[in-house]
Amino acid sequence: MIELNKIVVIGAGTMGSGIAQWFAQNFCSVELIDNSSEQLQKAKSSIEASWDKLEKKGKLTASDVARMKELLSTKSLEETSKDADLVIEAIIEDLEIKKTLLKKLDSHFEEKTILSSNTSSFPIHLMAEALSDKRKGKFLGLHFFNPATIMKLVEIIRGKDSSDELCQDLYTWFNEKGKKPALSADSPGFIVNRVARNFYGEPLRIVEKDEPEMMREVDRILREVGGFKMGPFELMDLIGIDINYSVTCSVWEAYDKEPRFAPHKLQKQMVDEKRFGRKSGRGFYKYD
Amino acid sequence: MRRDLDVRVGEDFISMTNVEFDGKYILNFGFGTKTEKKVFLNTHSDKKVVMDLTCYDPKEFYAEFPQLAGVFSALFCDEEKKIEVHLRSDKEEFLQKFKELEFNPVETRILSHGFIFPRTIAQIINEAHFALSENVASREDIDRAMKFGVNYPKGPFEWSKGKETIIRTLLEELHTSTHDPRYIPSPLLK
Repeated sequence: MIELNKIVVIGAGTMGSGIAQWFAQNFCSVELIDNSSEQLQKAKSSIEASWDKLEKKGKLTASDVARMKELLSTKSLEETSKDADLVIEAIIEDLEIKKTLLKKLDSHFEEKTILSSNTSSFPIHLMAEALSDKRKGKFLGLHFFNPATIMKLVEIIRGKDSSDELCQDLYTWFNEKGKKPALSADSPGFIVNRVARNFYGEPLRIVEKDEPEMMREVDRILREVGGFKMGPFELMDLIGIDINYSVTCSVWEAYDKEPRFAPHKLQKQMVDEKRFGRKSGRGFYKYD
Repeated sequence: MRRDLDVRVGEDFISMTNVEFDGKYILNFGFGTKTEKKVFLNTHSDKKVVMDLTCYDPKEFYAEFPQLAGVFSALFCDEEKKIEVHLRSDKEEFLQKFKELEFNPVETRILSHGFIFPRTIAQIINEAHFALSENVASREDIDRAMKFGVNYPKGPFEWSKGKETIIRTLLEELHTSTHDPRYIPSPLLK
């Protein structure tokens, strides 16, 4: 089996710090990087606090927590070990910024280092354009789900130049570590963000109008009959109507406006009215 | 459960089965063509019928058959035997009978073509089949991704196994009634 001991995670936001935490919990050495030292410290403290909490609950032993804390460090990119086994970037979703970073990573790390991206929106083959030819085979997508320590899925995205063998090796490695990997082609939305679109799109077409009573009924039926943990309307309110709408539009555009992915007019109307869901106090439902 | 009634779940449950009770009520389970469903109602016009109409527009049937007391969708129910039910008359009698048959009826006020749960998962299942046909991932990995990435209780292929014809029919019926190309079924749904 492939050996992954030294991991570098770039971007200490929600996803990056969750990913860093998961690797450290699996006893890999993790260097967490971010432009903002403040953000880095915040992420580190919150990861450590989460371990302390798990120790109190009896889910982790004191010696495990001590070891994990030792394994997790924060660095600047320049200070990062050049011999990392795997680098995962989880920075802002901006193609140009990501490509600039990848170019830097390509020259900083040794030839053996695997580079990966946690992107949910950009094709891996487009990001790979920033890399040298010899690195391209060692670059792929590793798409984690939030919260990364809890959600078991990792989508392993094989770009057109990514090595098949490497993707298979990572599949086996994550499986051994208790994740549930899924191998996906480099197509828009990969698996989840594509297949899940109609969990939102279809209920919107069942209700058609801005009627909370109908939405409550649809949420209830999908929970009670369907066995989903949350109904689509309450889930969209939690995710953020703006974020859900933007993912919908991006998948729809990427598939040349295929009608199966078309956004519903109500989504745009809500974004225009700044009804973003829970975070703005009003989405499909009202929140106090 | 009363085994003599031969009302089961899963793949066994797809062919039409009737449960008659109290001399005037019929529960009609199972999949059938639209014509078969209509012929059934025409030949039982003296009875109150509650019918599985997973694939067809219940509004059309309500308008045409006054003796149709309600509609339900049981074609996707699993071991928990939860079914979506819309009743417009004789509620107590039919709900009681469902419970006797060990179903868990969940009443809805929304009368939607394809109901709420079947229509939503039919579209998720359809997309999973399109993704499979485009070699995005294997069936197993698509199921796994949906269960462990977004907590679906089942993967799309686990839901659709053995029920492809029903899903295809539902999507084709939705396409016919809405004229919206979003309902065109994947060629893999046969």
